[in-house]
Amino acid sequence: MHATQCHNKKLEVHPPRSDLRAPAIQVSGLTKSIPTATHRVDILRGIDLEIQLGEFVAIMGPSGSGKSTLLGLLAGLDTPTSGQIILDGEDITGLDEDRMALLRGRKVGFVFQSYHLLPTLTAEENVLLPYELTGGNGSSGISDGPKRARELLESVGLLDRRDHYPVQLSGGEQQRVALARAFMVRPPILLADEPTGNLDTENGKHVLELLISLNLREGTTLVLVTHDEALSSRASRRITLRDGRIVSDERENAERATEPRP
Amino acid sequence: MPNALPSRDREGVGILNFSWATACKIAWRESRSSSFKFLFVILAVAVGVGSLTGVRGFSRAFHEMLLSQARTLMAADLSLRVFELPTPQQDSALAALSRLGVDRTWITETVTMASASVEKPPMLVSVKAVDPKKYPFYGEIRLSPPAPLSRALTADTVAVSDDVLLRLNLKVGDSIRLGGQPFRIVGEVTYEPDRMLGTLNVGPRVMMTRDGLDRAGLILPGSRAAERFLFRLSPNSPGIEPVRERLKATFPDALIADFRESHPLVTQALNRATTFLSLVSLITLIIGAIGVGTAMRAHIQQRMDSIAIMKCIGARSSHVMRIYLLQTIALGLAGGLVGVAFGLVVQRVFPSFLARYFELEPTAHWDFVTAAQGIGIAVLASLLFTLPPLIGIRRIRPSLILRREMEETKPDWPTRFAEARASLLAGATILIGFAGIAMSFATGTPRDIWRTGEYFAGALVISFTALSAVAWLMLRVLKIASRGKLPASVRHGISNLYRPGAHAQSVLVALGVGVMFTLTIYLVQHGMIAEMNRSSPPGMPNVFLIDIAPKDRDAVLDLVKQQRGVEGAPEVIGTVAAKISSVDGQPVDQMNLKGFARRYRSPRSVTSAAAMPDYVDLVRGRWWDSASGAPQVCVDEDAAKILHIQPGSEMRWAISGREVQTRVACVQSIDSVHLSSRVEFIFNTSALAGFPVIYYSSLRAQPSTVPALQEALYKRFPTVTVVNIADVLQIIQGVVDRISQVVRFISMFAILAGAVILSSSVAGTRFRRMREVVILKTLGATRWRVSRIFSVEFLVLGAVAGLMGSLLAGGFANLLLKRMLDAQTSIPVVPIAVSVVATAFIANAAGWMASFPILGQKPLEILREE
Repeated sequence: MHATQCHNKKLEVHPPRSDLRAPAIQVSGLTKSIPTATHRVDILRGIDLEIQLGEFVAIMGPSGSGKSTLLGLLAGLDTPTSGQIILDGEDITGLDEDRMALLRGRKVGFVFQSYHLLPTLTAEENVLLPYELTGGNGSSGISDGPKRARELLESVGLLDRRDHYPVQLSGGEQQRVALARAFMVRPPILLADEPTGNLDTENGKHVLELLISLNLREGTTLVLVTHDEALSSRASRRITLRDGRIVSDERENAERATEPRP
Repeated sequence: MPNALPSRDREGVGILNFSWATACKIAWRESRSSSFKFLFVILAVAVGVGSLTGVRGFSRAFHEMLLSQARTLMAADLSLRVFELPTPQQDSALAALSRLGVDRTWITETVTMASASVEKPPMLVSVKAVDPKKYPFYGEIRLSPPAPLSRALTADTVAVSDDVLLRLNLKVGDSIRLGGQPFRIVGEVTYEPDRMLGTLNVGPRVMMTRDGLDRAGLILPGSRAAERFLFRLSPNSPGIEPVRERLKATFPDALIADFRESHPLVTQALNRATTFLSLVSLITLIIGAIGVGTAMRAHIQQRMDSIAIMKCIGARSSHVMRIYLLQTIALGLAGGLVGVAFGLVVQRVFPSFLARYFELEPTAHWDFVTAAQGIGIAVLASLLFTLPPLIGIRRIRPSLILRREMEETKPDWPTRFAEARASLLAGATILIGFAGIAMSFATGTPRDIWRTGEYFAGALVISFTALSAVAWLMLRVLKIASRGKLPASVRHGISNLYRPGAHAQSVLVALGVGVMFTLTIYLVQHGMIAEMNRSSPPGMPNVFLIDIAPKDRDAVLDLVKQQRGVEGAPEVIGTVAAKISSVDGQPVDQMNLKGFARRYRSPRSVTSAAAMPDYVDLVRGRWWDSASGAPQVCVDEDAAKILHIQPGSEMRWAISGREVQTRVACVQSIDSVHLSSRVEFIFNTSALAGFPVIYYSSLRAQPSTVPALQEALYKRFPTVTVVNIADVLQIIQGVVDRISQVVRFISMFAILAGAVILSSSVAGTRFRRMREVVILKTLGATRWRVSRIFSVEFLVLGAVAGLMGSLLAGGFANLLLKRMLDAQTSIPVVPIAVSVVATAFIANAAGWMASFPILGQKPLEILREE
């Protein structure tokens, strides 16, 4: 299966959310320090950032610049040392672990570099997982979870392998399942940490095409951490970090990313 | 590139000098990172070793105590037991011994009824009448409040055991009635050295003086009582052997024992019990060893990369094996050491189970032999079960690190066959190994020892095959069921059972073995009691009246007939104690009698009848026409067979010191429902005329009315002992309960070991679980949600183990009861349900013990480690 085929699939297309609403992500004065045995390591030294709904943002920077930490904080996977994060209008600073998990379930999709599928579940069950975790029909607004899971698997070209376990899939296939999972409950925000980092060029390209096309169709705000220049060139906005600070923030082709393709 | 490196040693390559020391170093480095995982395995082994060394340590301590305190436990140098009073000749022989310096004291033991007052319901007690000035020759009777026995006991006082006080609601200082006479309770007997040796000892103890016994009038000629003479030698007296020989000559029918034997019966029983309990403990140890094997297999699987790398840089399979061999030995050793410490605790708990029946105080102490044995077996067992994964190391190819993706492919048939052959070989080795260990526990003839090994290996194969098969089947069923419409948490929980490295099947087997054992013992115990209760058919007497004096006979029967609830007429027989001297000229002492048949060397209760009672079935011969005339006897069929008696045979008897010669008129059989069936010899009336008679009666009464009957009889005839079958059953039940309590105590360790194996398996998958918890949390799962998934996994695992263990236990118990007692088969629904629920909870607790810290993990910490 190739990404080009996906365009023909019948997938519900959602228009981007109105710009009149609050920004998707608002970050102010964000710092993160970790005490080590000998001294304190400041990973983030004051980040201020606003990402609009529907934007496709690439976060770049050398190793140790704090990009993955920033992404983790945005997802509420860790608590900041200071500063504030507002996701889709909700302040997540100071939320306890469980409330954070619930909010994440509704608002944030995540794609990891090393896929992180549950080995005990089949491809389809993995995709269905966020839907089940958010309590099925109720909050996610999806009427038929299993149907959507199959549609998503079909759009990443893995419908025929839906009963396979992760170990029976190649790296590229696992990442495609992870993509389908990330979009399962239509989260307004999708965070991706080097999603192609563990894949070879061809598979990486395939996954990237899928990610971008799904993102366009679903109208999601996409924040992606990457080393890959080619990948970042597809983004509507490029933020570069160095030593825990934003050193550049460029917007280009803003229209391209927010406008759905026919 | 790894493939550019030598895969085999070459001369001069550093790794060639792979000494045991190097292996040790690597093994140590390797295991540090797995300490949490191995902690549980060590515990599982320790549980097995603890129960084993506890049992064996206790047994050794007991043996030593028997040897060191032999005189105390007998309270004498020599003891002689008879069931009738000595004849004048015997008395003079005893007196002659006294003159030679052999001191003697006389003890009488019997059972009777005792009550707090005339109005209160009586209970059955074992009476022991002693001469407190002499008894005991060695050791002491301890009373509470403390007092010397010689001062405390008089003709008006008694000392009693705690259960007498408890059941009659009495306290020291109160009065107790025996044989219609009041006695003051001077103290509670807390220690009685020779209790183990006594007869008629099952009931609660009442100790009194001979004067007291006489005052109570408990002993009538022919009463059921055991007479024991204790002897103490002095430096001037003849040695123990000549004294014993003189006694043997004077009392040919007596049971004579001296302290040197250290109680052959007790020793034999102890040896058997030790072997049995050791084997049960060995099962626990096997569960622990399975844990070691499973953990090492998982460990080696996780280390495949490292092993491949080591092989790439020139390590041989044997080098790598050494590393894991050393780790296995270390695990076995650690488990053994912890287990030995644990065993000391078990050893301390043990005597409390037996204290009621054996007056013993063996001191729990460090015993090097038992400890070394326990540790040795722990290491051996661990090695045996680690054999298959160790052999598997040879199959790990260095090229593995190059093609990880191939890991999941199935091997081709020849490879699979080769692997199966290897595991079969390993299985056979394991089996032979454990049969050998089992044989080392056995005592007796070489044939007995072989048989123990065979049976143990057989039982092992059958149990584990059955358990594995059921476990496999249940996991299959679960897998199919989990595909259906189930809540997401339940599905995820169940799917966790199939995770790579979850070892659900071996955990199920480990946990199931424990449940199976414990429950089988419980079911057999209850089945036996239930069968005893059930198998008294309608019409069978349930109350026996013992020791009715001839003068009271009619009055007792009248009273019984007036009682409410008595069904039908009571059966009465008068008995005389008679001893067979010879049959057709052959002395009975020279007959080759074995086992229970030896009873014919002791006095038997015989009765007399004029006309043939209607319940007697004549087998051969003819009943006598008239009750008078020459002495004749009709013999029970079984006795006739054992003693080779035919109608027309001549039998000589010794009755109350007189010779009686009889002709055998007939051979009879009596339905066992009748009291007379307990009397094997029926004389014609004239043959027994003039001998002291004691009457026995049996009757059937509605169970609820028996206490009233007991009370009424006790009020007017305090020396008549009323035995309620319900009471007897209760005593038997008490003994059976005690035995099964001990066995269950030991078999419970198997459940514990199984639970620890579950913990170990969960701990082994800790990192995987941690990652999954984090993924789940990232995808929006709350802690509650995650804990539900885990709980479902553990609960299902426990419930399945409980179900299969108890189903198999039900099967085995039914089989055993059918074989032993021809009992009805039944499905023990409640015990099964309780086992399933209890095992589920145990499993849940064990699972959480090993995964609690996982829940609190912060996602980013784990995700970053990738």
